[in-house]
Amino acid sequence: MTDPIIIDMGIVALTGALATIGGAAEDLESDVGSQSNPNSQVQLAAQMDFPHRIFNKAISGEPPAYGLWCASSAVVASVMLAKGMSVLFALAVGSLVGAILLGMFAVTAHMGRTASQSRFKQPLYMDMVVGHVPAIIAHGYIAVFCIVSFSYIMNAIMGHPFPLPLLALFWGVTAGAIGSSTGDVHYGAEREFQNQPFGCGLNASYSGNIVRKGEAGLRNGMDNVWACAKFGGPVTGLALGLTVFLDNWRSTIFTGANAEWFAIIAGLIIVVILILLNRYVEVDGRNAYGPYKEEEEGGAPA
Amino acid sequence: MSTAAGGPAGGGISATNVAILGIVGGLAGIYLSTILNGITETTYFSFFGGIGAILAGVWGADAVRRVCSYGLGTGVPSIGMVALGMGIVAAIFGLALCYVLGIPVVLGPIIAIVVAAIIGFIMGTMANKILSMNIPIMERCMVEIAVAGCLVMIALCVTISGTLVFENSILNTDITILSSVIQTGFIALIFIGGAMIILHPFNACLGPDESQDRTLYVGVEKGGIIMAITGVASLVVIDVIPAMLTIVIGLLIWIIYFKKFINLTKRDAYKVIGTGLLPTEEELQ
Repeated sequence: MTDPIIIDMGIVALTGALATIGGAAEDLESDVGSQSNPNSQVQLAAQMDFPHRIFNKAISGEPPAYGLWCASSAVVASVMLAKGMSVLFALAVGSLVGAILLGMFAVTAHMGRTASQSRFKQPLYMDMVVGHVPAIIAHGYIAVFCIVSFSYIMNAIMGHPFPLPLLALFWGVTAGAIGSSTGDVHYGAEREFQNQPFGCGLNASYSGNIVRKGEAGLRNGMDNVWACAKFGGPVTGLALGLTVFLDNWRSTIFTGANAEWFAIIAGLIIVVILILLNRYVEVDGRNAYGPYKEEEEGGAPA
Repeated sequence: MSTAAGGPAGGGISATNVAILGIVGGLAGIYLSTILNGITETTYFSFFGGIGAILAGVWGADAVRRVCSYGLGTGVPSIGMVALGMGIVAAIFGLALCYVLGIPVVLGPIIAIVVAAIIGFIMGTMANKILSMNIPIMERCMVEIAVAGCLVMIALCVTISGTLVFENSILNTDITILSSVIQTGFIALIFIGGAMIILHPFNACLGPDESQDRTLYVGVEKGGIIMAITGVASLVVIDVIPAMLTIVIGLLIWIIYFKKFINLTKRDAYKVIGTGLLPTEEELQ
């Protein structure tokens, strides 16, 4: 007979895999709509006389927003499960409701913000609304489905005492926070300012002067998600996946061995290792690249 | 950093009138729902809770709009979450106190809003005096947001459960807020959904040409969607027909106010076009 811990570790791996996919999709969804970190520059662009065709969406902070999509999906899924429907069907329909909710919030956020910039002559392009919102809903669906699914696994299989909607809220907020702080920086700090020399930082005089033209035609949210899918999205997925995997790994393995206190100690050790690794990467990066030297590089600012 | 001008927000409806609408509307929704449900011994009137939540949420959104127009661009979400944090503590405290002390449940919302107002005033004073934010209307707005958040919370709880009873040992009823809202986890939706009704509208319409009516229509519209989803949650708590009533009325409010919002967007936007190039240099001059 298979040792139960092997099955448990398989479940832990599944939650980690779901979180990795969900995290990546979460970040890419926010990149389509320029939510969170990049948003202030997109908002500022029109005000600095740089009208653009980039989707401007700020729902109310990415973590609470993802908390809402995931909690709503989990509520719908819980209701369907209570009515005796199958798990996969309930999760799929619940996530669809959450994703459509996200789409509706994206429409009001973009149209509202654009209309509030009329004195800067920023037009409201309806083809952008029609073109971007389905992509936002699609990425949001993958993210919400994955997050609600691993929340369900934690609740139903791993025996977490919290009800599904509460777990989904917490993990939604976590996913939003990780996406907002990890992946969005790739878009906000790099993709938006590709016209500046790499590593020069953001001089105040460049504020709002984001790249508005693409390889062909005017740049939009689709071009940005294409670029961010190469680094920002995957790295967000990795961060959320590791968070979920390591958290479940330590609680499963030590609870299985009847050594719950070691789970807490292991958690603290993991946090310390991550802090040290972060510090190492930061110091190593500074030593390797140092501060930006404009004159030595010989490149004039754009 | 991307904010409207740093000064008081104007608008057609005065702050006092919106506050009256929010308090009276919110409380009316809560009491109409519970009293009519009690008299008829049904749950058909639970949808009044959702309407009360929308009215209180609009008040909260207006308060967020007024305080955030002093330059709190990226602080919009924080203000909303603080409000609902205060609101949820006060709401549960008010309802639970009736159970603990054995006093009539109708006093629950009143106790809750008094507690919310006190916590809100303390938070507002701390923000102004200790954090030195020096926003003239901070204390008043934090009180308003906290009370509005508290009313939204209680009203949405009532929409799901159809009752104000916190625990069943008082009236020996089967459905209580503890069993139907908190233990099921639906409180998660109420907390974050209520927060969104209050804090999304100004965030969605932020900019120098923001207008009060457009922002508040977003509040009503988002309230309609959240009401419909709480209706879905109530499917496993109250009967199917009352739950469907909440869902249908919520969706109707959403559709009507979404259309109104689109019309106001067309009114306020510089130009609404199907597609096109960016404005030319001459056009921008």
